[in-house]
Amino acid sequence: MRHLKLIASFFKVSTQAELAYRSNFFIRLLNSFLSLGTGVLSLVVIFNQVETINGWSLPGTLALLGIYLLLGGLRGLFISPSLESVAGMDGEIWQGTFDFTMLRPVDKQFLVSFRNWRIYALFDVVLALGVLIYAIILLGETLSLGILLSFLLMLLASVILLYSSLLAFSALVFWNSGFLFTWIINDLFQLARYPVGLYPDWLRLILTWIIPVGLMTTIPAQALSGTLSPAMMAITLIFSLATLAGASWLFRRGLMKYASASS
Amino acid sequence: MNHKGGWALIKNTWQSWLQHRGFFFLLAFGWMLPLLVYLFIWSAAAGEGSLAGLTQESLAGYYLVLILVNQLTYSISNWTVGDNIRYGQINRWLLQPMSPLYHSLSSEIAGKVVFMLFSIPITALLAIIIQPRFNLTWSQGLLFIPAVLAAWALRFFWGYWLALLAFWATRADSLLALQDSFIFLFGGHLAPIALLPAWMRSIAQILPFRYMSAFPVEVLVGQLTTREILVGFAYQAGWTVVAFILYRLVWTRGVRHYEAIGG
Amino acid sequence: MNQPMIQVRNLTKNYTVPERAPGLGASIKSLVKPQFREVEAVKSIHLSIDTGEMVGLIGPNGAGKTTTLKMLSGLLYPTSGEATVAGFIPWKRQPDYLRRISMVMGNRSAMNWDIPPLDSFKVLSEIYRVPQQAYQQTLDELIALLDMEALLKKPVRNLSLGERMKCELVAGLLYQPDVMFLDEPTLGLDIAMQRRLRTFLKKYNDTHAVTVILTSHYMADVTALCPRVILIHHGELIYDGDLDTLAKSLAPFKLIKIQFASPIDNFSEFISQFSSVEELPSEQGHHVLRIPRQEIPQVTATLLEQFPVADLTVEDPPIEAVIDQIYEEGSV
Repeated sequence: MRHLKLIASFFKVSTQAELAYRSNFFIRLLNSFLSLGTGVLSLVVIFNQVETINGWSLPGTLALLGIYLLLGGLRGLFISPSLESVAGMDGEIWQGTFDFTMLRPVDKQFLVSFRNWRIYALFDVVLALGVLIYAIILLGETLSLGILLSFLLMLLASVILLYSSLLAFSALVFWNSGFLFTWIINDLFQLARYPVGLYPDWLRLILTWIIPVGLMTTIPAQALSGTLSPAMMAITLIFSLATLAGASWLFRRGLMKYASASS
Repeated sequence: MNHKGGWALIKNTWQSWLQHRGFFFLLAFGWMLPLLVYLFIWSAAAGEGSLAGLTQESLAGYYLVLILVNQLTYSISNWTVGDNIRYGQINRWLLQPMSPLYHSLSSEIAGKVVFMLFSIPITALLAIIIQPRFNLTWSQGLLFIPAVLAAWALRFFWGYWLALLAFWATRADSLLALQDSFIFLFGGHLAPIALLPAWMRSIAQILPFRYMSAFPVEVLVGQLTTREILVGFAYQAGWTVVAFILYRLVWTRGVRHYEAIGG
Repeated sequence: MNQPMIQVRNLTKNYTVPERAPGLGASIKSLVKPQFREVEAVKSIHLSIDTGEMVGLIGPNGAGKTTTLKMLSGLLYPTSGEATVAGFIPWKRQPDYLRRISMVMGNRSAMNWDIPPLDSFKVLSEIYRVPQQAYQQTLDELIALLDMEALLKKPVRNLSLGERMKCELVAGLLYQPDVMFLDEPTLGLDIAMQRRLRTFLKKYNDTHAVTVILTSHYMADVTALCPRVILIHHGELIYDGDLDTLAKSLAPFKLIKIQFASPIDNFSEFISQFSSVEELPSEQGHHVLRIPRQEIPQVTATLLEQFPVADLTVEDPPIEAVIDQIYEEGSV
């Protein structure tokens, strides 16, 4: 409850800061439409040449694009801005102001995960939902409650996976402050734009088990089309929770490293 | 013009960039990834057959060369022009007995060297994994050099004049994001021009973006007839002249405007 | 409660730093087999500070001041030793502990630069769980004391350095901490602003009995605020006591400033007969002499007897000069 209140307060203040720069509104709007436009046009171009790729048709891939944009929107809404304020360029580790964060009487992981919000990322979220709904209509399926619930559950698992990966990469900054580890995961996230099944085997294995960006969009898309087995669903859920636990552990180790390091 | 001062600046910039090579390797990695995505997507789409005459091997060859050409022609310095104007760095440059263009050019040259240190080994490694096929001839190789130089000049000056609009509008650099999107769609990134739908192909033919990135690649890997190569060079030369004139125009007007409002 | 607010026993901090000889060969070697060196930043320090005390932590750069401050605030684990602050072990960083301390640094900002200070304060009050009413009351008091009503609605990035420092202080005191760690709070401020902040700290300490540990390069901060100083050098605590005694024990010298009624030719010759007297550069027509305390009566008498003295004063050397001397000599 207290944490929810804090989140509300963080959201309010971040939004205020963002609204202070009016030009940001138009630029963010432009960028949102650009990423939507290039994403949709890409699919149009690809499926103009072929009917299906490895069993994926236009509607299924479009649904996956919707999920990709949705995850990207959530990432841009608070995960990235919050984590980057610690580990990014000009972040607290670089500037040396992380000391203040260390001294706040609040759980540090909570603090660094939720304190910065970018309200304009909601454009991305809304557009993504639009794409997703349109793709579901194209798929022509009637969504049963079971499918909808399993989709939402897998979407949640994906958000957890995404958050955990970013947290883990951000935590590495405690060991090497000069490197922008979060950029790597941001770059690799682009690979989630397409079903992981379209990539060569070696890459598919990496994207599933080592840096699980491949799972983040493919699994919810499969859940939506009803082709995901309950076993796979359970595995994904367990895997995402395990990743969360691992990332939190790494982050705590990072804090300990920080507290024993030189000045 | 003070060319000696320019060269000293280039050497200096290069040294400082080398010290931050981790950062630039990351940037290079980020630019490489979208191209890799579409390399894999089109390879999967082509399967064992071919699309518009392009097989998996020739698609791989096209994209690997494009990765290098894209990094050679991508102008990172365009992104800092706006900031330099906004934060008054330009004042110092205007007082130096040397064209401010040198500051951008020095980052360009220094940057290319650092990026290539990363990109060439990575592309070579990828070539071993995915086994591209080329039909290289001497004449194609010889024509490739002017094509890639002109592509760089065109992309640099096009981005430069857009960035210089920052004299009037503070966030002009969002136009650079727009330019990147157009290069993605019409510059052969999303798909080799031959795979685009007819309407996009004809747009790509006319707009400058293809001549900033895909054209040299098409020349090198032998996708073009002699006639197409000649027409391409004509377009490329024409657009480069236009870009240079626009740069001169915007620069002189911009400086006058800047001096008039007192910075 | 008679227990001291801050109690420190045997506090020690060693760092391991990688050591590498210059040159390419050495760099490659250090990749394979890195060499480390132990650096003792703080060596077995004992301290006890009572509630409401204002203590100046002084010492040259690299003496271990910041390391000590960071261990006491909870930012660093010590290598060995114990400390309790307000009854807590700092480096466990329990929320109840963190709510009772605050850290203000002159060279780092805890404020969000894009929004007005008032909004940052509000968020902080929620992080520290300050009840609404208490928050308003504390805020009003601090704003009045610091005279900063006008700053509250401007984004922090538009504030001057001094105005920003006022905000940092409010941010650090909003939740009425019992202990305050001030690390170079007046860094880079002009003299007037330095004086204003000192007055504020003095007043706040009088009314709230907050315990303060202050580090500063400006001795004026320390002399104005801290009756007690702790001197650290090479990680060792070499003095703990009041400032005047430190100055006296450190500076067994006084300065004599003399002005003569008419020019004197053989003054230098006269000086040279006392081996322990040193002539310093003259100030505004006054000759300045540095003389051991015990020789003052004799030298003064001789001067008055032999020369047409128009004006003569005996002064303590400025504290900065004394401190500089310790920093250079490295002992008391």
